[in-house]
Amino acid sequence: MTGLGATVARAGRRLLSSLPALFGVLVFTFLLMRVLPGDPAVFFASGPNAGKEEIEQIRKQMGLDKSVPEQLVFYLSDIGRGNLGRSMMTGQPVLKDLRERLPASLELTFTALLIALIAAVPLGVIAALKPGSLVDHGVRLFCALGVCVPTFVSGLLLIYVFYYLLGLAPDPTGRIDVFTSLPPQRTGFLSIDFLLAGDIEGWWAACKQLILPAVSMALFVIAPLARITRASMLVSLGSDFVRTARSVGLSWQKVVVTYALRNAILPVITIAGIVFSTMLGANVLVEKVFSWPGVASYALDALLSSDYAPVQGFVLLMAGIFVLVNLVVDICYGIADPRVSIG
Amino acid sequence: MRFVSFRSASSVLATTALLLIATAPSQAQTRAETLRYVTGASVNALDPNIPGSTRESFALSMSTYDRLVAFGRKQLNGKWVFDLDKITGELAESYDVSPDGLKLTFRLRKDAKFQDGSPVTAEDVKWSLDRCVTAPILGKAQLLTGSLTSADQFKVIDPLTIEVTLPKPDKLALPNLATVYPLIINSKVAKEHATPEDPWATAWLKEHTAGSGAYVIESFKPGEQVIIKRNEAWNRGSPDKPAFFKRVIVQSVPEPATRANLVERGDADLVVDLQASDVQSLEAKGKLKVVSTPQYNSITFVSMNNQIPPFDNVNVRRAIAFALPYEDMFKAALFGRGAPLFGATWPDGKPLNGIYPFQAPVKTDLDKAREYLKAAGLPEGFSTTFSFNVGQASTAEPMAALVKESLAKIGIKVDIQKLPDAQMSTQINEKKLPLFTEGIVAWLPSTDYFYRNFYTGNQRWNYSSINNPELAAIAQEARFEPDKAKYEEDGRKLNAIHFSEMPQIPLWQPNQDAVMASSIEGYTYEFHRQVDYRDVSRK
Repeated sequence: MTGLGATVARAGRRLLSSLPALFGVLVFTFLLMRVLPGDPAVFFASGPNAGKEEIEQIRKQMGLDKSVPEQLVFYLSDIGRGNLGRSMMTGQPVLKDLRERLPASLELTFTALLIALIAAVPLGVIAALKPGSLVDHGVRLFCALGVCVPTFVSGLLLIYVFYYLLGLAPDPTGRIDVFTSLPPQRTGFLSIDFLLAGDIEGWWAACKQLILPAVSMALFVIAPLARITRASMLVSLGSDFVRTARSVGLSWQKVVVTYALRNAILPVITIAGIVFSTMLGANVLVEKVFSWPGVASYALDALLSSDYAPVQGFVLLMAGIFVLVNLVVDICYGIADPRVSIG
Repeated sequence: MRFVSFRSASSVLATTALLLIATAPSQAQTRAETLRYVTGASVNALDPNIPGSTRESFALSMSTYDRLVAFGRKQLNGKWVFDLDKITGELAESYDVSPDGLKLTFRLRKDAKFQDGSPVTAEDVKWSLDRCVTAPILGKAQLLTGSLTSADQFKVIDPLTIEVTLPKPDKLALPNLATVYPLIINSKVAKEHATPEDPWATAWLKEHTAGSGAYVIESFKPGEQVIIKRNEAWNRGSPDKPAFFKRVIVQSVPEPATRANLVERGDADLVVDLQASDVQSLEAKGKLKVVSTPQYNSITFVSMNNQIPPFDNVNVRRAIAFALPYEDMFKAALFGRGAPLFGATWPDGKPLNGIYPFQAPVKTDLDKAREYLKAAGLPEGFSTTFSFNVGQASTAEPMAALVKESLAKIGIKVDIQKLPDAQMSTQINEKKLPLFTEGIVAWLPSTDYFYRNFYTGNQRWNYSSINNPELAAIAQEARFEPDKAKYEEDGRKLNAIHFSEMPQIPLWQPNQDAVMASSIEGYTYEFHRQVDYRDVSRK
């Protein structure tokens, strides 16, 4: 129990110490958006007859008629009250948009990461067990292919084969078929909400929508994960304790899984953490190709139209998630290797 | 325990199977009665008047609200397009224009009801039109172009009659009332949601509707999809019955290749914003219906800033006009899908008619271009930039490369600038771009309207920043010219000035390529360049 208490206390300290960084991100993004060329008011006042008056009005609506320091003070006090502003693009409060879209992105990213880990760790282990063999080269080739094909290309290819040619996959338009009714929203993760509602058919429909985008994202990150697993497995297989374990006649499974893999998994966890954070922000192409209503495509659209509030909200969200992921990674370290403690 | 759970699982399976059998035929039926329309854009407001609302929002409002009047439709080369000259009643049963053209009287339909069942009255019409010219919304600037500027102009005569008074006999007053903005709102409902700061309930109407239109909002997810269901009581369509489709799903699918796949597989019924290359291959396969209409109220052009050197020199502008590789650009950017505005022959050097946009007698002629450059005192050429926005990259990018290549041949060095959309509109507004490509559209395409809005004044839409007093005076005069022959004469004069001054170079009118399942009928090219869901039906 004391161990758990100490971990929680340390996690809390860790969170507190990340607050200044979050604040820095907040101010930096705010200033960056205002420095970028492009006036959102002019862009949004683009109806066939919008003139000076309309531009001024939008500027006022977005608070751009005030000086930058004043805007920053207003922005910070809004953030303090949990108000991230309003998106011009969707016309909704940014908080509401993000709350609706984040589960979509998270569900996709988690699934992709899970697929990637399930594929990458065994691949890496097999490659490490027989370095230089045909299997090793096969894994290397697969990884190279995965990395060098951009996600939107693999996404479009998967759509072409599984939707267009074979007709196995449902149409790649978002999280659920338009004709399926949605379950009551509890977690925002459709696959979980359907299960909670006991709707197996709906659950399957949601999973089918999820598979293709998740696989095309996973393909891209299998390579770093498999390579790092292989490298650290090689180190750990060549180490003294594995030699000892082998020499005392422990079973193959015990040597490889319990001793070698457990020691080799630390760098994989680190990379998985980083991969997760990058995927969440960088899966914009997959989101676009599969019309996935996630946060990344939302932020890109906002950036193109200089819609300040959503971009700022998105960056803040990503920074927050990054802090959380790092924390989780550190805690996972402790579980994988009790000698490591987070400080 | 295990046994019980097994039983319940099997009963779930059985029920599911039963449900499947029971719902299968009815589901198939709903699919036939449902229109699934996919688009790269999205709906962001339920009231098109909200600053920042998208074109998809405009289209949706045509179905959720009625206006006093609507445009008729006509066939142009075998395709249905909106007809500016034929204005029919929508909420108005009939209308009269007084002989002096100063009074418009509208008599409302007796059977017209809002979606909540209350009757549409002249009070509602007045409130809605007042809102359009008073509230800080987009309708204000639009109605201004039809001399509708003040709430005093709208007078309730009796509960079913409303009178509109004009300061001058303005030809565009009536058509303006058929555009997107002057929608008729249930004023009783809207007033309940008005606040002292927001007397016209703009905030509430952005997220809710209170109209009498053909469709009712079923669900609205901004940026993702809107589902609307039929208003059974609506009978303002031409055949006096409700709209055809029971449900319409308007879904955002950002990737154009995915949209093409969806419609080809039959999962989507209708799409109007595919890439030209996809349209061409779908058309070649022949499985789908492709209706291509040149967008005759829109123009793509290359514009030059007439105030910045060297483009302040008319000979430089003419040199550019004869150096552009028109044919190649037309093929590379549009796959030839559109109506060209180049390559005409004017036998006596004068405009063929007074209609704008006109096909100009320009073609690629590098020798002539070099002569003009010499006349401008720049025989060695110069350096400049050519800009376009990211949103138009699929057509503008190949165009830009060809422009660069062709202008290099006469010594003009071009740097290509690809700008994010917001940055491009800002630079245009600040008049900073020397040479760029853009597209314009006019809802009410009349010659004087184009010239007044896009060629006069120090304002954003005067892309070329041309300042020609003669052109401005003729355009202004033509606006209120009742005599058709004189109007035509004014149009010819304007076109002649345009050609000799060459402020910008109109290239073409791109096609609106509507790709649809072969069972879809009645598609009409509308002034807002989106689909009016009330037009279409299924065989």
